[in-house]
Amino acid sequence: MPQRVVITGLGAVCGLGTTVDDFWTALSTGQSAIRPLGRIGEGTRISIGAVVPDFDPGQYFSSAELPLLDRFSQFALLSAQEALADAGLAAGEGAVTTAAAIIGTGCGGKQTDEETYARLYKEQKTRAHPLTIPKGMPSAAASLVSQHLGIKGPVFSVSSACASAAHAVIQGRLMIQSGMVDVALVGGTDAPFTYGLLKAWETLRVVSNDTCRPFCKDRSGMVLGEGSGMLVLESEQHAVQRGTRIYAELAGCGMTSDAGHITRPDVDGIARAISNALKDAGLAADAVDYVNAHGTGTPANDSAETEALHRVFGAHANTLAVSSTKSMHGHALGAASALELIATVLTIQNNLIPPTANFTRPDEECDLDYVPNRARAQRIEIAVSNAFAFGSLNAVLALKTWE
Amino acid sequence: MTKIMVFELIAREQKCSPEDLTLDTRLEDLGIDSLRAITILYQLEEQFDIEVPNERIETIVTIGDIVTSIDQLRQNSDTECHNA
Repeated sequence: MPQRVVITGLGAVCGLGTTVDDFWTALSTGQSAIRPLGRIGEGTRISIGAVVPDFDPGQYFSSAELPLLDRFSQFALLSAQEALADAGLAAGEGAVTTAAAIIGTGCGGKQTDEETYARLYKEQKTRAHPLTIPKGMPSAAASLVSQHLGIKGPVFSVSSACASAAHAVIQGRLMIQSGMVDVALVGGTDAPFTYGLLKAWETLRVVSNDTCRPFCKDRSGMVLGEGSGMLVLESEQHAVQRGTRIYAELAGCGMTSDAGHITRPDVDGIARAISNALKDAGLAADAVDYVNAHGTGTPANDSAETEALHRVFGAHANTLAVSSTKSMHGHALGAASALELIATVLTIQNNLIPPTANFTRPDEECDLDYVPNRARAQRIEIAVSNAFAFGSLNAVLALKTWE
Repeated sequence: MTKIMVFELIAREQKCSPEDLTLDTRLEDLGIDSLRAITILYQLEEQFDIEVPNERIETIVTIGDIVTSIDQLRQNSDTECHNA
């Protein structure tokens, strides 16, 4: 029998705030962080987003540290520190020294890259800043988290667009199950509010200028977010031995690829990922109480995800609670599935389902219970968190209350 | 002139006073590793509009080496301009 893997620490930075407390307070009261972008969106057709509010890096990092910290690394460090402290683990001590750190990112250090490219292409400068590579490389966040927190086991980043964090979580779980490590810090980070990235998203024509309204008839696309979510995973034995609080068991994981279209979701690939996660967890479909949906608010995702849920859950789909917290924290790309897993953990912990905010009216293609606009108190023992990425990469996580 | 500008830049980077620095101060003794050294050189290249070749960087040990390198490179580029 492989080791059971439990979640013992959480850290979150996103448009809803810089701590897990901020995050949950907003989610549980249905507050959305989506706001006008103002100057950030200047020169683009993207006018709204969920930006980390009033974020002053100088408040958290010294002037000696900042030159190497792209915004995506800053978010990763903050949430990693919070998750570690929440798990009662001290940086550079004990189990942390041999722990893994696996951090997903969809974009990497784009702010750094773009600043250099703007100097070269726009300002016609001839020199790139020497820190462009070490600061901007997609693995920089993982390296800096390792360095700052003294994590010396397996450390690397994974990239699978919007499922990056979920794939990182799964990798950490597999390492613990195999006995390779006792503790893994896993999650994701992204800071996509750069001019070049906004222009690139603009041209895909999937970003809404209204708001994010997952599963609604009048949904008009996704809304970008930024931030980082981190979780401490541990073998059950290790967590019990040191007597730490256990939030939930990470009971099952499912990964599939559609081997299909580069942007269009595929019902079969999604359904297989959910089924695989349930099978891995040894759970019957009708045991699931809640699904934290990928729910981007694009016409294509929400109808395909709904159809996949019908396919996997059958008649039980009609009694399943489904919500998309992207309606509140936006789509934080490589961080999204970590933030959503944290939301799912807290749903179990608090027996309170965060709503799908900004909900107007149902769509005939989206006919499930999406917990519109108001959080719902309900006993939740088993929950699923979905992540489906561009490039047809799907990763689904199943959680169980731990007793 | 070069000396003042180099001292000021390094003092700013090190958060110390230019008076704490001498031409013989070794970068290593200031805790400046190779990555920080090339970042400092990058700023000086921008400031003086020069190009410090890689082989020259390998010979830089002290602040004085930086000042000498810059002066020589500026002189070379002045000569090249005059010859052109």
